[in-house]
Amino acid sequence: MVKTMKKVFNYTWINIGLLALAFSSCKPEIDSFEARPGEADFSKYIAIGNSLTAGFADGGLYLEGQQVAFPNLIAEQMRQAGGGQFRSPFFSEEQRNGSGYLQLTALVNGQPQTANVTSSLGYRAPGRLTKFTDEVENLGVPGMRLDLAFIPEFGSLNMYYERLLPDADVNTKAYFDFVSNRNHTFFSFWLGNNDVLGYASNGGYTDPQNPTTALTSVATFSALYNRFINTLTEGDKKGVVATIPTVTSVPFFTTVTTARLEAGVSASTNGQFTRIFISTAAGPRAATSEDLFTLTFPTDTLGKTRNGIPGYGLSPLNPLEDKLALDRDEIVEITERVNAFNEIIKTTAANKNLAVADAQAFLNNVKNPGIIYNGVGINASFITGNAFSLDGVHLTPMGNALIANLFIDAINNKYGSRLPKVDATKYRGVKFP
Amino acid sequence: MKRLLLGLMLASPALLWAQGSQVNTQSQKAVGMSGAGSALFIDEASIFYSPGALSKMDHNAISVGASGVMYRSAFRELNSNDVHNTKFKITPPFSAFAAFGPKNSWWKAGIGVYTPFGGSVNWGTEWPGRYELNHLELRAIFIQPTLSFKITENFGIGGGFVYNIGQVDLSRSLPLTGADGQMAQAQLTGTGTGMGFNVGVHYHLENEFAVSLSYRSKVVTKLRDGDAEFTVPPALASSFPNTTFDSELPLPASFNVGLAFPVGEKVDIAADATIIGYDIYKELVFDYRDNTPVLEDTRQVKKYENAFSGKVGVNYKTTDHLTLRAGAGYVYSPVRGPYVSPETPDNNRVMGSVGFTYDINDRWDLTGAYVFQHLLERTVTSAGTGLSGTYKTNIHAPGIMLTYKW
Repeated sequence: MVKTMKKVFNYTWINIGLLALAFSSCKPEIDSFEARPGEADFSKYIAIGNSLTAGFADGGLYLEGQQVAFPNLIAEQMRQAGGGQFRSPFFSEEQRNGSGYLQLTALVNGQPQTANVTSSLGYRAPGRLTKFTDEVENLGVPGMRLDLAFIPEFGSLNMYYERLLPDADVNTKAYFDFVSNRNHTFFSFWLGNNDVLGYASNGGYTDPQNPTTALTSVATFSALYNRFINTLTEGDKKGVVATIPTVTSVPFFTTVTTARLEAGVSASTNGQFTRIFISTAAGPRAATSEDLFTLTFPTDTLGKTRNGIPGYGLSPLNPLEDKLALDRDEIVEITERVNAFNEIIKTTAANKNLAVADAQAFLNNVKNPGIIYNGVGINASFITGNAFSLDGVHLTPMGNALIANLFIDAINNKYGSRLPKVDATKYRGVKFP
Repeated sequence: MKRLLLGLMLASPALLWAQGSQVNTQSQKAVGMSGAGSALFIDEASIFYSPGALSKMDHNAISVGASGVMYRSAFRELNSNDVHNTKFKITPPFSAFAAFGPKNSWWKAGIGVYTPFGGSVNWGTEWPGRYELNHLELRAIFIQPTLSFKITENFGIGGGFVYNIGQVDLSRSLPLTGADGQMAQAQLTGTGTGMGFNVGVHYHLENEFAVSLSYRSKVVTKLRDGDAEFTVPPALASSFPNTTFDSELPLPASFNVGLAFPVGEKVDIAADATIIGYDIYKELVFDYRDNTPVLEDTRQVKKYENAFSGKVGVNYKTTDHLTLRAGAGYVYSPVRGPYVSPETPDNNRVMGSVGFTYDINDRWDLTGAYVFQHLLERTVTSAGTGLSGTYKTNIHAPGIMLTYKW
């Protein structure tokens, strides 16, 4: 028996030898993706833009949002293709909540309740954020507009810009000059959104006291856009620019609808009032489904006494003031302006051999019909659509990852680069309580 | 503002009830020949492979065996540099067969307990397909009492009734994040039962050519009141109530033809061809007892096609005590590209095997085998989730079986 067992052992040993051979291929190997820069040079990438570039989300600029800003995600992928360091004006861990932001506190009958985060903020004085004047590559400034990028005084009006400026430069250095001369080898440029959004979110009403509510003219946009791009591409520098999304593709304008307001009014007045009246250039009229209201619409003012007249917004005699509604004529005006801007962006990019990330086409597709990304439904619905954060305009981390992939696609297609895609499933949508 | 409905997409979870999960490790003798040998081996495992052959056994026997199946898949998302591997895990399909009856009689009875379908795949919670699958464990245990009769000395028929107990345990991430950054997860566990049969005939010429035909029916396994548990942020708990689900899993029928013939004094060659009726697997439905606007019943399209496998093996009796085996096979996948899923990232596969039986004495046999299967690399885009990338899979299955004869 001992002898036979020994024999068994010997043959078992042979089998183990065979096993070991086969185990060398135990773990299946898939050829790796070879990242490469192509014609581009990613060694010093700078990102120029507004809140989207800065990583603004949930109505505020805070560390978690900054860390997943789409340029930061792109820079991480560039690192595999010769990319260098990419620094951002991160809030410190102690001041991680930065400007403060909205968070979802409850869903009451499916209706979201939000509150401002007020701890660990990053203010040095009221309305003044803790300075960050070290060298950075993410140059995104929330609220930055193309027209105001050339106005030195904007440094004292915009706390996010003021934060990045040494004291001597506040009021004296325009954003254009701030971002120029940084010895970049590659850039992303996404400005122009606020040149329409400021006007649109103010209900298509320009407040003469507030330059951020103006609608930039096509001529101004064309001149400034070309000037900016000419400077950035000096020496045949390469880069990527993005188009401006259609205003009506974001939940900020599509969540509070005429029908919802009417239903609310009917219910609370037992059917006595059923329509909403708005002010337009052609005088007051009843709102239709073609008119839009913002997510921040002050629902509690409806039907109240205003200027001594009761029933605010419920009769043609007491219509909502102009800035509370984006009426259909204003939407046409804004849409045409966005399209005109995008024509300029695409033409300029073509002339300068730049990649174009067509954010307008992408977000239109997100709105209708929506996309399915690796099993996740992405659409423009507020909160549940996964792409937009609680302010209804800015992106969630997942939205940032998808936009990063849009830019990466554009760069790869234009310059023959192979930047790997971002795994957007790693990044969250809205946080639920 | 009207109530906001949480229109979250809950893509239907799916199961490994696929060809990829069909592990034919019932007898280590057959494993050593890559699954060939239904006509060659006349023993207690014929209960599974060829019920008609069982009556030709000249003795009674009990055998117990198990394999250590290592299913290793890798995935790389299209245009990404990150390769994700399934976690290393050994699943132990087992089998036990007993054949008994009067010696040299015209009949033989037997019972088999075996696991023809099963598997374990764990991609974890950190991979691009996390919203389709985190992990899946699956096992179908077949219990098959069998009777076999000799019509003539050379011709046997047999048949058995199959009772199946199926167990499933799967989880997937949900695209919902809590305040702590924790991602939500759904977990489904359940047990189901089904019934079927296994019939076959076996014919042989004295010491020469042998042929086996067998048909294993489909076994539709009905899962009732499985547990569906959702780990979601508290504010969404009412939208994702812990509930139960019903589902139905059709295990396919297969028709097998086996041939065996000697090529020398000590050497036999066996070949088997199997058609597997996977076209019954058209869709997978999960019917939740409690539905909410976001938790609806799910229906996942599968559209499998019939599959085919061919196996050939050689059996070499080196001495009275030791038999060595080797085999190779090829399997055509029933899964079409758009329906490939991470539960079983299937593709056509090649396999090779080695094995041995050592006759310790008149009573005891020890059989060992090792089969390696390689699923060809496959780049697919899922019709259901849009996940696009390349899968590659290797399966290693060493196994051992002990037989007692009397």
